[in-house]
Order: sequence, then structure tokens, then C-alpha cells
Amino acid sequence: MTTTKSRWRRSRLSNSLPGKEPQIDERQALPIVVDVIHGNDIGSLMRILAVEDDRKTSDYIARGLTEAGHVCDVLADGHDALFAATREAYDVVVVDRMLPGLDGLSMVKAVRAAGVRTPVLFLTAVGGVDDRVEGLEAGGDDYLVKPFAFSELLARINALGRRPPALEQKTTLKVGDLEMDLIRRQVTRQGQVIDLQQREFSLLEVLMRGEGRVITRTMLLERVWDFHFDPKTSVVETHISRLRAKIDRPFEIQLLHTVRNTGYSLHVPAKVAPNGYAAR
Amino acid sequence: MQRASLFRSTPFRLALTFALLFVLAFVLSGAVVYRMMSADLSDRLDQTIKETYSVVAATYAGEDREDLIATVESHARLSQAKEQLFSLADPSGRHLAGNFVAMSLPEGFSTLAEGTEGIPAETSYRAYSGSVGGNKLTVALSVSATAKLEAIVLMGFGWATLLITGLAVAGGAFLASRVQRRLDGIAATMVDVSHGKLGARIPLIGNGDDIDVVSGQVNAALGRLSTLVEGMKQVSANIAHDLKTPLNRLQMILEAAADKTVSGQDISDDLAEARAESLQINETFDALLRIAQIEAGARKARFTNLDLEQVVKTIAEVYADVAEDDGKSLSVTLVQGRGAPIHGDWELLTQLFANLVENALRHCPEGTEIELSVTRHANRIVAAVSDNGPGVPVQEREKVFQRLYRLDNSRSTPGSGLGLSLVRAIGDLHGASITLEDRRPGLVVAVSFPAAKPPAA
Repeated sequence: MTTTKSRWRRSRLSNSLPGKEPQIDERQALPIVVDVIHGNDIGSLMRILAVEDDRKTSDYIARGLTEAGHVCDVLADGHDALFAATREAYDVVVVDRMLPGLDGLSMVKAVRAAGVRTPVLFLTAVGGVDDRVEGLEAGGDDYLVKPFAFSELLARINALGRRPPALEQKTTLKVGDLEMDLIRRQVTRQGQVIDLQQREFSLLEVLMRGEGRVITRTMLLERVWDFHFDPKTSVVETHISRLRAKIDRPFEIQLLHTVRNTGYSLHVPAKVAPNGYAAR
Repeated sequence: MQRASLFRSTPFRLALTFALLFVLAFVLSGAVVYRMMSADLSDRLDQTIKETYSVVAATYAGEDREDLIATVESHARLSQAKEQLFSLADPSGRHLAGNFVAMSLPEGFSTLAEGTEGIPAETSYRAYSGSVGGNKLTVALSVSATAKLEAIVLMGFGWATLLITGLAVAGGAFLASRVQRRLDGIAATMVDVSHGKLGARIPLIGNGDDIDVVSGQVNAALGRLSTLVEGMKQVSANIAHDLKTPLNRLQMILEAAADKTVSGQDISDDLAEARAESLQINETFDALLRIAQIEAGARKARFTNLDLEQVVKTIAEVYADVAEDDGKSLSVTLVQGRGAPIHGDWELLTQLFANLVENALRHCPEGTEIELSVTRHANRIVAAVSDNGPGVPVQEREKVFQRLYRLDNSRSTPGSGLGLSLVRAIGDLHGASITLEDRRPGLVVAVSFPAAKPPAA
């Protein structure tokens, strides 16, 4: 093992964005989006290891993550990454499938064999049908096909890094005055029962569990419909608009927000949030 | 071209080997027959000698030597050509009568070799000596007759062997050259193919023999190969064309943006456009790779028994609202009760039907009714996506499955031209046949799956 700290490229911009007004700026979809749409996303620094041998890609990832307020270590070699991932405490590890030294799949298997349970997100160059399954079987928690929009990567890292502990079994979800009873499978807002179809319920559940975070179109397609390809029609948009008509339109405060070019987010708008709501 | 000479060719060697084996068997059996015949002939000769001896000896009766002498003399006189020799000597060894003087022959049978003193030169004799009243009587017979017979038989065998050998070799060479000509034909075809003439086929005789059967199979393989290569050529050309267009657009967008930055204008729209273009290019590549992966067949390992109705139902559920928002309608008809068990991959089947429904949604005008159905015919399960839209012209129906092929009037709508190729690849993986039928007006895309056998109870 020849890894030394000096070989690591560490970029730390620390927690540089507090106090910035939460906003959904359409132009921010380019070229790097910093998803600061809710107070919840600020101040939750994560330590992320990015294992990627293409210098341009790793720069892109590191820069974006740093700007989003995270700390990002970059390694280019599979063996070095295995060493780091088993020694250091990371919140999320992002791994390219194709790596010099040890390939990403073997690396993650080795990490899991060592008993390390850090969430792993695979970056795969080919959106092949088996690549994802292989990645998940090796112990990965999520996958993303290259080329990816940075907003997509960030949304997924955020979702992974803040996954609630598995032990915590909630029976009700609550966002503002919207409540979901997971046992009776019933949704109410302001005490009014909202009648939802099965898929609409699943869609709302995914959004509520990711409260305040951006849930991308592809994340919804995977989690709600089990679609692992990109439909050419507006499947997500259609169902979101149906859901919105039921949970938002009859009410004054809109909870379901569109993040342009990226996805959706369910949260109480910051301006109308009751005092202290956004505080963690 | 490397050509094997006739003598080194396998068919000729086989023919020669069989000819040699045949001749060897013939010679061996000939030798056995000859030996048996030869032994039989000498037995008969001995018997004849013994009989003659007995006849002569019988004339001696009651001490009367004169009769015996006379008989010997008369027998000797009769055998002018000295085929039979007689000799009579008194007990003291004095020659009494006969046409030859017997040497000191032992009693019983003996052989007088050619050139023995006192006998004609050119032949050997078989002799029998015995004592008749104290006198020594010898009767000898020439073996020339027997030898002549044996020579004739031997000669016959020899000629027959020669003839058979000749025939076998000639016949072998003839048959071998025929086979060789056909092998040469195969070799020539293969050389043509390796030089790029993929249309070359092995000539068939049509008699259905083994070479014809193998040649037919090779021809079929060549047919598939040339179809594949043609497809590949076309795909490469189409990829080059279809990727060149967006790449050119991308370049133009970027150049326009570069110009704008010089004059300090906002280029965010150009960047968004550039991103969309690059995403489209990537999508095309991804779809191509996906098709290649599916066609490679590795995915089959993940097949499970599933209910095709559930897949179709899910698709209908996902797309019904999409269709409605698009001013179209989507309905679904399912098999009553029994379900539609097939062996397959849920994820890929979902994509297959999603692609078909999306095709209908994108290429049909508003007001179109799209119908999903699952029906069961004997041991096939047919899932169909029908619409009453513009349909696909008959002559285009096979082409729409080709990679990157797009109908002229659909070039303006978004899409990679890979959707149906992917559908076909997934269908092939599942052993399903896909047909496009006219619905007057509209199109029916029917995917016919082999039904899964019910799990053994």
C-alpha cells in the first residue's frame, strides 16, 4: 500500500454558503447547480470520497461538491480508494466503475467485506442493463449513468448521505400541514382526506421522505415506477401535475415545487415557514 | 489458393486404403484356396499311383514272374510320353522290366526331384515302391499335370488381383476426385468470402448427401453473416450520419456562443441548447450499447416467471394519464382470469411496452385511441399495442426495426430511431416474434411470447 495523504487532492471550501437566500434559480441548472432550496440543505456538511480517474470529471465533481458545501477527497486509483474508504469515515463514497488498479466493483465488494457500510454511489459510463444490477449486488446503494448533470449527482448524494437510519421506522410522514399515514395508507391535508391512486401515493411518499431535498426525475422514475430508462414522454410531469392538483391546488400554500431541469422538491416555502421550522 | 493434390486428399486416401484392404483380403483368401486345392491334388495323385501299383502288382500270382514282367512292360509301353514310369527289379536289384531304372528308392511314397538320373529331365515324379514276391516294383507318376493345374489357378488369382487392384484404385480416384471437386468448390467459396465477397455461396448438387447438408448449413451461416455485416455497415453509416448532424449543430451553437461572449452577450440559452444536443448524442450511444448488450444475451440469466398482464397493466396505468394529457386515450383489455405466465425480465419487458406506447403517443395525432391487450392463443401469449393513427406503410414495416431508421415523416419528431430496434432486441431475447399489422386505419404491433409452462406442482 503506497497511499500517502500527499497524493490526495483535497478541496475544501468549507461551509461557505450560509445565509444565502433559498431560491430556485432556473439559470443555476447550468453549468453547476447548487441546490440551495431550503434551509435544511445548508450547514449539513458531508465528507465525500470521489473515486474517479478522469481528471476533468473528478475536478467537476470536486468543484461542485465543494461549492455545495461539502468536503470532497478525490482518488484516482482503486487500491488507494479501498485503503481510504476503509480507514477514513466518509458520509458517501462516489465510485467510477472503471478504475486503474482495482476496478470499482471489486473495490466496493472489498469495502463491504471489510464491514464498512458507508453509502456508495456508482458512476457507470455505460447505461447497460446489467451494470446497475451488478453494482447494487456488489454493495452499491445507488447508481448514476454518465454523462450526468451535476444536480442529479448532488441530489443523489444528498439522499444517500442523509438516509434515516434503517432502525427508525416511521408510521407517519409530515410536511407542513400535509400528513401521510403509512399504515392506513391515507393522506390528509389540513385534516381533509385526499384520495390518491396507488402510484400517486408512492410518488408522494418518495417526495415526503426526501422533504426539502431535490428529487430528480430519474430518481422518481426508478423509485416510483421502477423504470430504469428515460421515457420520451412526460410520464413524470403528468403524474406530478395530477398529484399537485390533489395536494396543492385546493390549498393556499404550495408544497410541491419544480426545480427546473432537475426535478421536484416537497417542502414548506421558506418565506412562510413558521419560525424555527427550518432549523435542524 | 492452397489446393491439396489428389493423392494427398482425404477422399483419395480413404478410397486407396479401402482398395488395399480389399485386395489384401482377396489375396489371403486366394492363398487359402490354393493351399487347400494343392493338398487335395497331391492326395489324388498319391491315390492314383497306389491304384496303378495295385493293378500291376495283382498280376503277380503264384511265383509266376513272367506275367508281372509282361504287365509292367505293357504299361510302360502305353506311357509313351513317360507320364507314368514303371520299374521292376529282381531281389538282387537287376532290372527286369519297365521304362526307367528305379534307383534305390525306399518302400512307400517318395518324390523324384527334377533332374534325378534315369528320369526325363523336365519334370519331377511321385513314386511308390513295394515288394511283389521279392521283386521290387516301382510306379511313378509325373506331377506336371498337377503343377499345370496349380499354375493355372495361381495365374487366375494373380490376374484377378491385378484387375481388382486396378479397379479399386481407379474407382477410388474417380470417387475421390468427385468429392475433391466439391471440396474445392467449398474452399473457393470460402476464399471469396474471406476476400469480402459475402454474396458467395457453395454450389449445391441437390441430392441431399452429407456434403450438401453441410454446405447448406454453411450457406445459411453465410447468409446470416452477410445480413449482419450489411446491418453493421448500415448502422455505421447511419450512426455517422445521425451523430454528425447533432455534432455539427453542437459546434454551431458553441461557435455562436463564443462569438456572443466576445460582445459580452448572455450565452446561457446557447449553453442549454448545447447541453440538450450533447445529451441527445449520449442517449443515442447509450441506446446502441444497450441494444448490443441485450443482443449479447447475458441478461437471460435474470429471467423469472412473471405475469405479462401485470407488466401491461403497469404500463397502462403509467401512460393512461400521459395519453389523456396528450389528447389521446389509452385502454387495456386483458385475458380473463388465467393471467399470462411467461418467462422473462420484468425491467426489459416494461421498457419494451413503454417504447411501443410512447411510439404510438408520439407519432399519432390528437384524438387517437390507443389500446393495449393481452390474449392467449394455444401456447402463445400475444400482447398488442394498437392505435387508429396513421400507421406504417407496408414496405417500411421491416425497416422500422433497423437501428437508427426513421420514417421520413417522423424525422421532425424527437427520437433516436432506436426505440423499435430495442423492442426487437428485447423481443428476440424472450423468443418473441413481433409483427406490424394494418388496422385500417392504424397500426397493431403484436408481440407474441411463448407461454411459460406452469410450474411443476
